[in-house]
Amino acid sequence: MRGLVAGLLAFGIYLVVQATLFHFVKVSRRALVLVGLWIAGLLVYVLVYAALPEDQTVWPAPLAAPSDMVTFFNGGLLYFFMFMGYAQFFYIAESSVGVRTMIELASELERGLTLEELTKRYRYDWMLQRRLRRLIHAGYLVEENGWFRTTVRGRVAATFLAWCKRLLCLGPGG
Amino acid sequence: MLKGLVLALGGFVLFLIVHVLLFRWRLPHRRFMSMVRITGMIGAALIAVHRITPTDLGVLPQTYTMAGWAVDLLNSLIVFGFLFIGYCMFYFLVDRGFSGRIMIEIEASSDRRLRQQDIAARYSIETVLRRRLGEMLEIGRIVEEHGRYRNTAKGRSAAAMFAFVKGFLKLGEGG
Repeated sequence: MRGLVAGLLAFGIYLVVQATLFHFVKVSRRALVLVGLWIAGLLVYVLVYAALPEDQTVWPAPLAAPSDMVTFFNGGLLYFFMFMGYAQFFYIAESSVGVRTMIELASELERGLTLEELTKRYRYDWMLQRRLRRLIHAGYLVEENGWFRTTVRGRVAATFLAWCKRLLCLGPGG
Repeated sequence: MLKGLVLALGGFVLFLIVHVLLFRWRLPHRRFMSMVRITGMIGAALIAVHRITPTDLGVLPQTYTMAGWAVDLLNSLIVFGFLFIGYCMFYFLVDRGFSGRIMIEIEASSDRRLRQQDIAARYSIETVLRRRLGEMLEIGRIVEEHGRYRNTAKGRSAAAMFAFVKGFLKLGEGG
């Protein structure tokens, strides 16, 4: 339990710090801050793990594990998984078109909205521009005189994604 | 702890095999729900396998298999659950990722380059919204009546929760 509890506590501290920071400071490079804080949280994990007592002294036998390398790395793995899960939630909240649609529909609770009315509420140019900028920044695309091309990294990613889509028969998607 | 980790990894590999075979054989109508069902079934099997197999699975080093059965099982289920959540992240990126679609469209174009208006023409906002609305109708977040879309109670709760998160974390309008 020592590793699991340490992983859980370290993630709890990460979550509080991240939410507080994003609430009070205007963060422009969100991904960098999210990952940076997570890396800093690894030190918190190590400290919390070291501060917790041996399982045998506090937990009943079925819940006790020796404080070995596996227990330590297992707690770190939990901390990593929780961050990944949270990152997924964060980006759904931040970028999901579906979430935005529900929020737009919530403003017209009784009457609802037609597809045409919904479309007018989106700034598609801005949405596309935001994605293109991110892809350029991450090294997947380059822009030359208004034309966008994939880099080697972008080509590999596009080929891999297209292969996965074909493998799972998912259609063009997006 | 090692036994639980090995079983969780094995369970996840089994999930991947079943998931790929199922999607290739007959694409389910409710794709995500089918993935959740497969995970649930394998998760139940994982509990049974954990309880009936020896602590070292016959091959693992004794040194790392001395944890209590309950913490090992709990850990196994947590790791298996998180592997599934991690895979979902990847799956949604492949299935719905807007940025992935942009790169694929650019690669598929004749000169392997597109302008922003070309991308918008190939993948319009109507297409994007139509797809999202279809998915949300399927999972019961919205209803459609005479061409008008409205949130259900489930959709209203989700909208309120996400609006709060967006507001609290200052994430902007997004979408």
